[in-house]
Amino acid sequence: MKLSLASKPILIVEDNPVIRKSIRDMLYSLNADTITEADNGVAAINAMAKTTFEIVLCDYNLGPGKNGQQVLEEARHRKLIDYRSIFILISSEQSTSAVLGAMDSKPDEYLTKPFNAQQLISRLSRHFARRDYLGGIEKAMAKGDLAQAIRQCDALLERGDVKMRLHLLKMRAELAIAAGDFESARRIYLEVLQHRDLPWARLGLGIIDLQNNNIEQAIAGFQSLVAENPMLMEGYDWLTRAYEALDRHQEVEQVLQQALELSPQSILRQKKFAETADKNGNLEAAEKAYKAALKLGKHSVHRSCSDYAGLAKLYAKTNAGEEALKTLNEMRQEYANQPEAELRAATLEADLFRAQGDDEAAQQALDKALDLCGRLGSKAPRELQLEVARSCFLNQQHDKAEAILHGLIQNHIDDEQFLNNLRAMQSGVGMHNYSEIQIQKTRQALIATNNKGVALYKQGKFKEALDLFEQAIATMPENKTIILNMLKIIIHDLKANPADADKERRARLLLKKARQLGVEQHKLGVLQMEFGKLHRPAAAKA
Amino acid sequence: MSGRFDNDTLFPTILAFTVHDIKNSLGTLLELIRQFSAKLQGETGDLGLLEFEAARINHSLMQLLVLYKVGANKFSLAVDEYPALDLLQEAVHQQARLSTLNNVALQVDCADDLPAYCDFATIANALAAVLNNALRYTRHAVLVSAEQDGGYLRIAIEDDGAGYPPHFLAADLNNAADLDWVNGNTGLGLYFVSVIAGLHKNAGRCGYVTIDNASRLGGARFRLFLP
Repeated sequence: MKLSLASKPILIVEDNPVIRKSIRDMLYSLNADTITEADNGVAAINAMAKTTFEIVLCDYNLGPGKNGQQVLEEARHRKLIDYRSIFILISSEQSTSAVLGAMDSKPDEYLTKPFNAQQLISRLSRHFARRDYLGGIEKAMAKGDLAQAIRQCDALLERGDVKMRLHLLKMRAELAIAAGDFESARRIYLEVLQHRDLPWARLGLGIIDLQNNNIEQAIAGFQSLVAENPMLMEGYDWLTRAYEALDRHQEVEQVLQQALELSPQSILRQKKFAETADKNGNLEAAEKAYKAALKLGKHSVHRSCSDYAGLAKLYAKTNAGEEALKTLNEMRQEYANQPEAELRAATLEADLFRAQGDDEAAQQALDKALDLCGRLGSKAPRELQLEVARSCFLNQQHDKAEAILHGLIQNHIDDEQFLNNLRAMQSGVGMHNYSEIQIQKTRQALIATNNKGVALYKQGKFKEALDLFEQAIATMPENKTIILNMLKIIIHDLKANPADADKERRARLLLKKARQLGVEQHKLGVLQMEFGKLHRPAAAKA
Repeated sequence: MSGRFDNDTLFPTILAFTVHDIKNSLGTLLELIRQFSAKLQGETGDLGLLEFEAARINHSLMQLLVLYKVGANKFSLAVDEYPALDLLQEAVHQQARLSTLNNVALQVDCADDLPAYCDFATIANALAAVLNNALRYTRHAVLVSAEQDGGYLRIAIEDDGAGYPPHFLAADLNNAADLDWVNGNTGLGLYFVSVIAGLHKNAGRCGYVTIDNASRLGGARFRLFLP
């Protein structure tokens, strides 16, 4: 049962020609015949954009440019590899998993340099065996079919395979959390922990506490977890989220700092730290972190013009106007012809020129920002829209500010945290409670629509209920409550009535939209499960 | 540190970076040796020795790096469940060429479904270093095995060599000061495994290491107990 790599597309990413040749020879000895080579990160990404490789062997240290972790991050982010691919990260340091602090992109396997053909073979064989065993679950997950994934997982667990049991239990618990079934997940984690103190089970319990709003308990759990496992980066990320839920921003900053000292390469953590320190008034720390994020961003798929804008805003705050303008120019160069960057620049320039007393230039910049904001519509980040509105208030253009805020309130009426940001913005420019009446009115309208829709639904008037929500969605296309309610009604309708391809398509679109809008997975999970059950074979319906 | 190093942390950092750098070069060196070996089928005696020594340097550097991190609180284990057999195989594979080189019969004895709870890479590397040593001192055979022993997983590496010298058997492996750092065969490898074993904890139990000359093959026996 020798491993053969014949006709499997394979990519080697390695800058050292000696090592590259060595890896190639190892692969040839396994009958590999479709090998592509890249000697830097950009070349690797370009190759992956053309071909979906089954195996990627990627060195961590690739010289100037992207490193191996950034290649993986980008490949995952841009979906250049899928659940069938195996990504092996090669590094000369061991415990790579712990040292490299990427948030979500963990490689499938690690190899420590120097390694030989037998080590490579054992990694590949192990991965292929695991993929054959778990392929069904992973395929269902990739399709977003939670119900199917859970069924497959349960079926494998029932087979009682000792070797895979713990791995399956971990997957099963994660699937349960995704489906909003916290009780099953908790049972699994507690059972595992009875036998052995495994970090992932403790992490899972903390996540459940957090989702169940037992935030203090979650914090205590995550704290002891990272105290005992200081390199467990996910622990810090979850602890950060728990503190955020309580608006304890000083603690958020502290935890992020701790994580960054251990793993300074994570651009997403640097960004978050910069923003938090900025909010907390620790401007020096914020400046350093923005600069670190910009530097890391040079080769990262997570680079963003918002880091430049953040740094420029920081300079504006400390009255370093020239530095701010310089930073904006750098941003314009790096993000040429990108409307969001231009919008950020124009919005901040309006502030800077106003501070310098140049009202005419300020007005010009604001006009430009308003034009861009109008063209971008809901594609402009909501916090950025708030800033444009703020600038309008400061330039005495209340009607324009109101127009922007109207859209924001309509779409985010059920997001209290965002509404608080909106209120804070208004207080900051001396317009306390400016939008309060509109917020109340919008909220009442939403409640009325909801009640009416639910009442119609209860009377069995599915069609009328759906029409009502369709209308509501037309006026507030990004309102999560409306989308979730519509989904519920369509799914119940599909359950009660004969199959209807149109409605199924509508449901699928709404599920996708809800995911895009960032509706929490466990709220969506229940609906995904019910939708998944609709596709059960005829036997289940009989 | 005196003179130009103005604080205590700079030198260890430089040391760690240097070790890292040497390890990178060593990796390339090892690959070149292998490629030469492949070309010169048969006549590879000296090259084999070169590879053997390079592998030893690599183990020492790796251990140094990990011990540096342990000392600087930059190290923690990533403990999870793995098949014990995979763990043993990984160590054996790392040393595979050396066993063929010296015509040593390398045997693995481990149940297919025996689980190991540990940091896979760290323990596999530590075992590989001990195995490397066993391959140096054995005559014909080395046995790598794992078994459940009460609340512990017991991993043993046994050979048919002359056994550990008396000063080794008398030393406290957990105490760096007790090891003979001067007279060669420093036991860095054993000290390293013992530190790593001690970091593995479960239900109030700690991992540990023992050595004796009670090998089933007649020579040295190394045993690692993981809770």
